[in-house]
Amino acid sequence: MDLSSYLLVGAVLFVAGVVCMATKRNGIGVLMGVELVLNGANINFVAFANYTRLGLDGQVISLFVIVLAAAEAAVALAIALSFYNNHLTIDVDQANQLQG
Amino acid sequence: MVCDMNFSELLSRVVQDTVGNNPFGDLSGVLSGKQPTFMDGSLLMFLPELIVVGTILALLFVRLLDLDKVISGQSVALLGATVALLVAVVQFLAIKNLDPSTSGVVLPKTMFTGLLVYDAFTVFFKVFLLLFLQLVVYLTQLTGLPDRDDAPDFYTLLFGSTLGMLLMISSNNLLMVFLGIEMTSVPSYAMVGFLKGRRTSSEAAFKYVVYGAGAAGVMLYGISLMAGLLGTASFPEMAARLNLVIGSGPLKLDATLLTLLLSIVMILVGIAFKLSIFPFHFWGPDAFEGAATEVAGFLSVASKGAAFALLIRVLLALVGIDQAPSGVMTPVFFYLGIAISVLAAVTATFGNLAAYSQNNIKRLLAYSTIAHAGYMLMAVGAMMVLLNASKHVPDPAARWELAIRAIEGLLFYLWVYMFMNLGAFAVAALIRNELFSEDITDFGGLWTQAPVLSFTMACCMFSLIGMPPFGGFTGKFMVFSSLFQAGHYHWAMWGVLAVAGINTVFSLFYYVRVLKFMFIAPAKDGARRVRVPAWSAAWFFVLSLAVLVLLTGMWGAAPLSATAHEVAAALFP
Repeated sequence: MDLSSYLLVGAVLFVAGVVCMATKRNGIGVLMGVELVLNGANINFVAFANYTRLGLDGQVISLFVIVLAAAEAAVALAIALSFYNNHLTIDVDQANQLQG
Repeated sequence: MVCDMNFSELLSRVVQDTVGNNPFGDLSGVLSGKQPTFMDGSLLMFLPELIVVGTILALLFVRLLDLDKVISGQSVALLGATVALLVAVVQFLAIKNLDPSTSGVVLPKTMFTGLLVYDAFTVFFKVFLLLFLQLVVYLTQLTGLPDRDDAPDFYTLLFGSTLGMLLMISSNNLLMVFLGIEMTSVPSYAMVGFLKGRRTSSEAAFKYVVYGAGAAGVMLYGISLMAGLLGTASFPEMAARLNLVIGSGPLKLDATLLTLLLSIVMILVGIAFKLSIFPFHFWGPDAFEGAATEVAGFLSVASKGAAFALLIRVLLALVGIDQAPSGVMTPVFFYLGIAISVLAAVTATFGNLAAYSQNNIKRLLAYSTIAHAGYMLMAVGAMMVLLNASKHVPDPAARWELAIRAIEGLLFYLWVYMFMNLGAFAVAALIRNELFSEDITDFGGLWTQAPVLSFTMACCMFSLIGMPPFGGFTGKFMVFSSLFQAGHYHWAMWGVLAVAGINTVFSLFYYVRVLKFMFIAPAKDGARRVRVPAWSAAWFFVLSLAVLVLLTGMWGAAPLSATAHEVAAALFP
């Protein structure tokens, strides 16, 4: 296994996440896309930590990212719940009251 | 890399880096203000942030121990913000009077094993953010946005967001860039959705969190590519590694350069989202309209200011400030500067044109915020062009002086922008409390009912347009003169300058339209009357903001721009 195989996995996760964010109409689905993107970046960090001069910095960064992703998911889900309470749906296309 | 040390040695080094050799001796010197001593422990340099953290804890404990009947959350927040601001001001005075030849202290210093940097730029922005935090806390007390029960929650979010901004402005490592942006964003998502029962508020928060999380993810991926490519995440090493990785000789568009460009663009996307730069601006008007006016005011100034500081830090880390004038990447950065300026011109034009048809005052001010982010981004573009014009100006000192002027203009603009934008949002919030409307067509006849509010709004609007003698004119003039200087090295910058000038004229119409309703149009039949009694706290607050907007354009301009110049020069030691 060399560096580029790991980077390939990271890139696939990143692209899958971006596609998921762009196409999903369900709000929770969009947030899952964000998680995929963050974890794609995390795989990059860990791979770079092993194969390049980045060293342990990469692993430390990935730990911080895991923590932040959890915090962000907590807030995002709370906001999704608040949106559901007001709209009785989490379809992002229904978020159309504010525009212009 | 620290590999040849045993654990206890490592531990004692970390402790010394954090606490310093003689922390209490330093503290007494700093607080008495007699000698501009310098702290060598990170905790003392980090003191304002620690006070912000302490305030958050105090707010949570007030709620937990049921003390909020004795001391309200508002008072705790105001006290914490004031103390943090005072400490930051003392730090700024100490750093300004610092004489390296006698004290032996060399700036910039790093904090926490190099993750954060402590220099005049950091402390200047600390004062900026904490002063703004204090003003916003005071405004929310006047308008009563969080009631007594909600106050600890609201101020916890507000202080948490400010803490993230304080990390952004002092970040010295790619990790801190991401941490700072996320720590700023996550509480602000919740703040936008703070009016829980409202459909618009939950929709605004939902849009903000979805777009914001997406932009942060893209940015993180860019950071991972850059850190891996350069083999370091530390800013001071990045420029040298960049030249090493790209190699000497003519630039080839190979995989390395492409990956590098991709990572730069991805990181800039994350920052551009925070700055609401076109085409990443769409969240701004929606989030501002759905959020409470006070929260919109906070986001429009504080997160923009912190993001500009971060943008300058990232760009300077890439360009490097201590290398020979012929870096390999210089032409790339030169054209990156032009691209940033063109994007800034598009942003300003878009913001100004879209503001025309708006009747909601918050939405109008949101588009005005986008336009002003465009003007300020022009200064950053000019800085990049001037720094990398090595073909025309081989002497680095001369290029630095020009770039320092561009940063000086940006810093000056940010200060003026803080006062004028907060003034406009404060007046809008106070009117909303009386009229229960944010529609500018309901503002008719306000001049006779609330002359001070109308006067402040007029000062802020004329300053936002950029008319003399208000501060907005001076700030715009400084940014535009940097653009003119940059135009000597590429004609496109003169084009951007022309667009910026035309934009100033455009913006006249929609700002004046607000004033037309306030001063000329008659009050609607049966409309509620606005009452703000003279010599009340709100009266005093808005009037002092109006005075500050005037001061920064007149007597205050010279000292403020001199300070901004010193601060900008400190970036190029």
